[in-house]
Formats: sequence, structure tokens, C-alpha cells
Amino acid sequence: MDFSAVTIEILVALLGLVLLVTGLLLPPDHKKANGYIAVVGLLGILAFSLSGDAGRSGTFLYGLYTLDSLSKYFKEIFMIAAILVILMSLSYTKRFREGKGEYFSILLFALLGMMVMVSSNDFITLYIGLELMTISFVILTAFDRSSLKSSEAGVKYVLLSAMSSAVLLYGLSIFYGLSGTTEYAGFITCLQSGGLGPALILAIVMVLAGFGFKISAVPFHMWSPDIYEGAPTPITAFLATGSKAAGFAVLIRLLLQVLPSQHVNFSGIIIMLAVLTIIVGNLIAIPQKNIKRMLAFSSIAHAGYILLGLVAFTGMGVGAMLYYIFIYIFANAGAFASVTALSNITGSDEIEDFGGMWKRSPLVTAVLMISLLSMAGIPPAAGFVGKFYLFASIIKEGYVWLALVAIGMSVVSLYYYVMVIRVMLTGQVKSDEPVTVPASLKTVMVVSSAATIFLGVYAGPLTSWTSSVASMFVK
Amino acid sequence: MLKDFGIIGIFVLGGLFFTGAALLTNWIIRPKEHHNENATSTFECGLDTRGPTWVQFRINYFLYALIFVVFDIETVFLYPWAVRFNSLGVFALVEMIIFIAILALGLWYAWKKGALEWK
Repeated sequence: MDFSAVTIEILVALLGLVLLVTGLLLPPDHKKANGYIAVVGLLGILAFSLSGDAGRSGTFLYGLYTLDSLSKYFKEIFMIAAILVILMSLSYTKRFREGKGEYFSILLFALLGMMVMVSSNDFITLYIGLELMTISFVILTAFDRSSLKSSEAGVKYVLLSAMSSAVLLYGLSIFYGLSGTTEYAGFITCLQSGGLGPALILAIVMVLAGFGFKISAVPFHMWSPDIYEGAPTPITAFLATGSKAAGFAVLIRLLLQVLPSQHVNFSGIIIMLAVLTIIVGNLIAIPQKNIKRMLAFSSIAHAGYILLGLVAFTGMGVGAMLYYIFIYIFANAGAFASVTALSNITGSDEIEDFGGMWKRSPLVTAVLMISLLSMAGIPPAAGFVGKFYLFASIIKEGYVWLALVAIGMSVVSLYYYVMVIRVMLTGQVKSDEPVTVPASLKTVMVVSSAATIFLGVYAGPLTSWTSSVASMFVK
Repeated sequence: MLKDFGIIGIFVLGGLFFTGAALLTNWIIRPKEHHNENATSTFECGLDTRGPTWVQFRINYFLYALIFVVFDIETVFLYPWAVRFNSLGVFALVEMIIFIAILALGLWYAWKKGALEWK
């Protein structure tokens, strides 16, 4: 058997197990070292993956598992997101009463679940990856045992994700019932013979609903504000970036690789999802007082923008999605790192408590500003380029009205992003106590805002990478 | 297609009719006696319960159950491997060692965390 297609996954699993051991062996005051081990290990795995020694393509277990440029791209994205989240967590774990050692290990297993999801070439493998990710996230969401909100968020997440999993599984079981196989390859051949009727459409709707939950598309978005608010802030960042990116990765693979013959049947659903998600996400974000809730609704709106790439249903659309997900991770990491830093100081996530932060910590203010402006799509931040590619890809397919809706809502979003910036620059200063930001958080903040600016000014290398990945979906 | 569902419908109706008819016949011909205490008590299924049955169980029960799963899974995979040991060769042996090592790690972790202590 050829293990080269799963080297990355094996290494991540190994690192997770090693962290479990070191987490127990380290003395109680030094559990933080686990985080450093995780960061160093992941950086090594990321370098190994980027260097290309990990293999470029191949299959494993008789085609149940596949490594191709799409899954490789997403795995590298997940690893970057995980590294940023672990760095964010280093200063946050002191809030946890226990389990400081296990925290990083579970985080790595969530990462492993995402990797299995994007690489799976079979419905059962896909589901196992999905559940590995979801269950790890449930534990992480409820990790702050001293906080009632965190436990509540955990319970909500486990119940709601169980329901979405049930719907998804029902859809997948209909796929199996129609084709007699759980493998994508066999399923595609079965689709080509045609004539599967209304049951297939029902199954597609159910699968879309299941993954609509993961990417928090309206009307499956209800869970995300509560859970984003209650979860520990680094985990919120990982939910908003990694989990969402994994959902999109699977949607890209399922819709463009497995079900393209059914495009006429589901294109309308995706357009509706995208329009609703963009409009509802942006409008409900306006009145939010809590920054984590505001970012939750903004991340719903961003899911809508990214869905536009699936509306376009072309190589260009996928390329735009890949680019947008990449820069979205950096913008979110920057924003959540600043929020972590601010809430470490003020002990609150309310926007009004950030008043006059500009005087107390210019760095935090600048990073949050760059991240929010990138999300709003203001040049030179990378969000502008990302939105430009997405909107261009749908205009090219003739959806001018949809692009106008998205642009209009993007203008609306500017309002609530700028409101936060306004409070930070002109709001009432609550105290003059100087602000100290831990070095690990500073690293995340500097790296993510530098990446956001750099990719906005010089997008060439990344776009050539994303378009070469997307070229497998030429239509 | 629709015709096939019609056949299923006939089966469903037939099934409902037969179960209904059987129950009805039983109800008609059964001796009409009043319930006595012995008829409604638990029999052949353990002892009568004492006190309320909705009590809280210690979390340790569940920890033991989880650790039991470790051994359970181990057996499930060890047995077929042992039966075909000769034909599976060295590769399977190495795989099995890795597999058992991971499970042993899990047991060690649980032990170290104090899951086996009854406090």
C-alpha cells in the first residue's frame, strides 16, 4: 500500500498523540509548552507539505482517499489557520481550569478531521472526517468550564450539529440507495447513466442543507452567533475559518466534481442560499453590540460571498473562492487575535468597552482596523481583490443583478465595520492603564495584517496558485 | 414506478389487516378476568425495584464503559488478524503493533488521569 498520499495526515495524528503524552508528562505550570510543541510541529509539517516531498497526487485505500491539488491547497490552508489559532490560544489557555494539555491535542484532531474531509473520495470517509472535526469542535467550544456561556454553546453545538449530521446522512444514504456505492467514482458513473429522478434532487437538497450548516449559510445559520459568542475566542476563530473552509472544500468537490451533471437542478438553490446569506448576514450584523456576535454575522455574510463562486460554477469561480478563503483566514485571525487581546485587557467583548483603544494600544487598533477593512473590501487590503474576483466571476456568467446585490450589501457591511473603528478611535477612554499584548498574540496580529496588506497589493503569486488549483474544474 | 408502490401499499394494507384481525380475535376470545397483582409484576426479568428508578449514576460507570471499548475494539481486530496470521505477513504485524500501541496509549492516558480509581 502506498502511504505517500496520507503522509500529512499521519504526521498530524502523530503530533496529536505526542501532545496527549506530553500534556500529561509536563508539570502543571508548564502545560503551555504543549502549544509551542504544536506550533513547531505544525510548521514543520506545513513546510514538508509545501516543499512537495509529501507527494502531489495519489490515492489511498483503493481510491477511498485522494490527494490532489485541491485537497493539498486546503490542507495547507487548514494548517496555517491552526498555527494562527494555536498561537492565539497560548495566552488564552490560562483561563481554563483544567485540560490545558489536552486542548492543543484536540485542536489538532479537529485539524485532522478537516484534512480527512477534503481528501475523502467516498461518502463514508467524508462523514468520518466531518464527525472527527465536529466532535473535536464541540469539546473545544465547551472547554472554558468556568464560563456558563461556553458550556451552553457546547450543548447547543452538539445538538444542532447532530441534527444537521442526521439530515446530511439521510441525503448520503439516498445517494447510496440510488447508486449502490459510496465511492464518488462509482457514483459518478451511475449518474452518467441518468434517470435517477426526484429522489436524487431530494438527496442533493439534504446534502446542501447539511453543509449549509457547516458554512453557516442562511437559513442554517442560527447556531453560529450563540456558539461564536460562547466559545473561547481562539476556537471561534477556528470555527469561522477552518470549519467553514472545510465545508466549502467539500462543497466544491461534491458539486463540481461529483454532481456537475445535476447543475441545472441545484443552481437555483445555491443562488437563493447566496442571496439570503449575504443580505441577512449583513443586515443582522448592524445592530450587534458584542464584537464576537458581530464577527459571527459578518462571517455568515462572507459565507454568502464565497458561495458566489459556486453560483458561477466555473474554474474562475473556484479560483476566486480559493483566494477569498485564504485571505479571509488572515483577516479573521487578525480580527480575533485583536479581540482576544482586547478582552484580555477589558475582560469584555462588548464593542463599547473598546472606546479610545487607539490611545492605549495602537498596535491592536491598527490590526483590527486592517482586518475589518479587509473584510469590508477596502483597498489596499486583500479583501478588495478577493471580492473583485468573486464578483467578476459571476458577472462573467451573466449574473449582473446578483453582483449588484452583493456589492450593495458590501457597502452596507462597511457601516458596521467602521462603527467598531469609530469607537476605537473616538470613543470614551475607560482607563489609562497601558496595554500589554503577549508576544504570541503579537505574532499572529503582525503576520495576519502583513499578509492581508501584502496579498492586497501583490496578489499575483497567490492567484496563479489558486487558478492552477482551479484549473482542474475547467468548464 | 408508481405501480410498484401500489404493490407495497397492498402489502401494508394486508399487514395492517392481519395484525388488527389477530388482536381483535384475541380480544374477543380471551377470558375476561380482572387483573391480579402477579400478572402485572415484573417476572423473569430480575428483582422488583426498590425506591425510585430515576437515580443518578456515578460518572465512573461511563468512564469504565469507555475504557472497556478500548479492549473491545482491540479484540475485534486482533481476532481476525490472529486467524489469518500466516498469510498476512510482516506488514500486518507492524500495523497491529502500531494499532495496539495507540490503544495502549489511550489506556495509559486514562489510567494516568485517574479514570480507573473509584473515588
